[in-house]
Amino acid sequence: MTEPPLRAGITGLAAVSALGRGAQAQLAGAPAFGPVRRFDVSARKVTTAATLADAGTLADELSGVITDACVGLSPLERAKTPLVLGVHGHPEAGRSKSMTTAGFATDLAARTGLAGVAKVYTCACVSGSTAVADAAASIRAGRSGRVVVAAGYLVEPDQFALFDAGRALAKDGAARPFSVGRSGLLLGDAVSAVVLEPVGTREVLAEVAGWGRAGDAHHVVRPDPNGHGMARAVGDALRRAGIGPDELGYVNANASGADGDSAEAAALRGALDGHRIPVSSTKSVHGHGLEGSGLLELVVTVLAVHAGKLPVNAGHLGADPDCDLDLILDAPRPAASPYALTVNAAFGGANTALLVRSVS
Amino acid sequence: MRTIAESVMPQGTVPPPLPGFVVSSFSPLVAAAAEQCLVARHGKPPAEPRTAIVLVSGSGDAGMAEHVAHLVDGGLRLGPLLFFQAVPNSVAGHVAARWGLRGPVVCLCPTGDPEAEGLAQARLLVDDGDADEVLVVLVEQTGAGDSAHALLVTEGDSP
Repeated sequence: MTEPPLRAGITGLAAVSALGRGAQAQLAGAPAFGPVRRFDVSARKVTTAATLADAGTLADELSGVITDACVGLSPLERAKTPLVLGVHGHPEAGRSKSMTTAGFATDLAARTGLAGVAKVYTCACVSGSTAVADAAASIRAGRSGRVVVAAGYLVEPDQFALFDAGRALAKDGAARPFSVGRSGLLLGDAVSAVVLEPVGTREVLAEVAGWGRAGDAHHVVRPDPNGHGMARAVGDALRRAGIGPDELGYVNANASGADGDSAEAAALRGALDGHRIPVSSTKSVHGHGLEGSGLLELVVTVLAVHAGKLPVNAGHLGADPDCDLDLILDAPRPAASPYALTVNAAFGGANTALLVRSVS
Repeated sequence: MRTIAESVMPQGTVPPPLPGFVVSSFSPLVAAAAEQCLVARHGKPPAEPRTAIVLVSGSGDAGMAEHVAHLVDGGLRLGPLLFFQAVPNSVAGHVAARWGLRGPVVCLCPTGDPEAEGLAQARLLVDDGDADEVLVVLVEQTGAGDSAHALLVTEGDSP
């Protein structure tokens, strides 16, 4: 008789963003954007981001969230648990040839008492979400036990300057996902960690019930305007979870306030087969956390569904007909289903979808 | 995994320029290695659409990172093209768009053997059903010169 496939559960989580430290702070509904004081932005066209005032170094913050997510694990259990990391690279890589990304990850695993590094993802804004998809797949296939997935980005001068040079940042000081009049994204701190392990080992907060990853094959950086790649990722996540789109209760969208939000709207309309599922993008409050975004948004999604309170899509000025979705505006909505989806996309046409089932 | 095509850009290779990518040889090298490997298998685009790209690099785009840090620290102007090549995904997207590769796009920094980690990722994606073939590109920028190695792999064992 064939054994049923293992299921991947989230048994611990922690996050830091401009909304604050700790998991519950991430459910604050007000945007956290303000003037950047962490470094000199006087030469930039845009000077706004969502930064945590007392943030430490990226290594310090990653170490903190890993430690917090691992509460309940003994030192021996941690010493048997590998780290999967999502980062842009070593924060000092451009300024010192001796600072390697592999060294950064290895030091982080040692500092947090984990069993070394299993993998380091550097795939931009889908780093954390791809890491979770792969970890869940490995657990379901019986090829992996417990892992810690951590991902992080703290707003810093180099990426800020690049996004500013690329005219990607919102000129009006607000991220307005899916809104008419949106003018771009705003960067934000995003550092988080989750413990993933086969269901049945420890108390589970949520199950990673489905996942999908697919490419657009469309452009170096622009999303496919029809959203075909993202739609396939969402479809794969639903298929793996074994549910229909009508059973979904919430989508935490990738939308950042950029032109490409309409591509995601097209993808969701197509993949959800006409079902109008409540949608918001929490980037509207914590900003775009780049390599840290996918994992932070997973954490926020799990917490929101667990709390029964779906977060708002802040900054919305009015409906864009190309973004016709059931957006959560004005006030949080009650969660009507334990199933929620969080979607991410990145340069290169990379798309991911993670489907979680909240466990009460 | 079974290797069905392969290309090697030995250390010191100077790749042809890649339109839209400036300053660093990282992306041109990835594109050249991928192109040679995919041509060896398919001749011309398109390739098998259920192909994933796994880009593995310990150095990452070191040339780009150093250039941006230099400009930022010196208070110098950054050109908009730099934004579009800020992450390794960008050149992966170039290859995917040119060859019609609709599988996942994954970039890794190895902490052990780069080829082993790239092939392990390829196996994961194939076993999980998100790709039938995987283009694994290993690329390094070091002081001794740049190098790249591309492998197109699929299910099965190499002879």
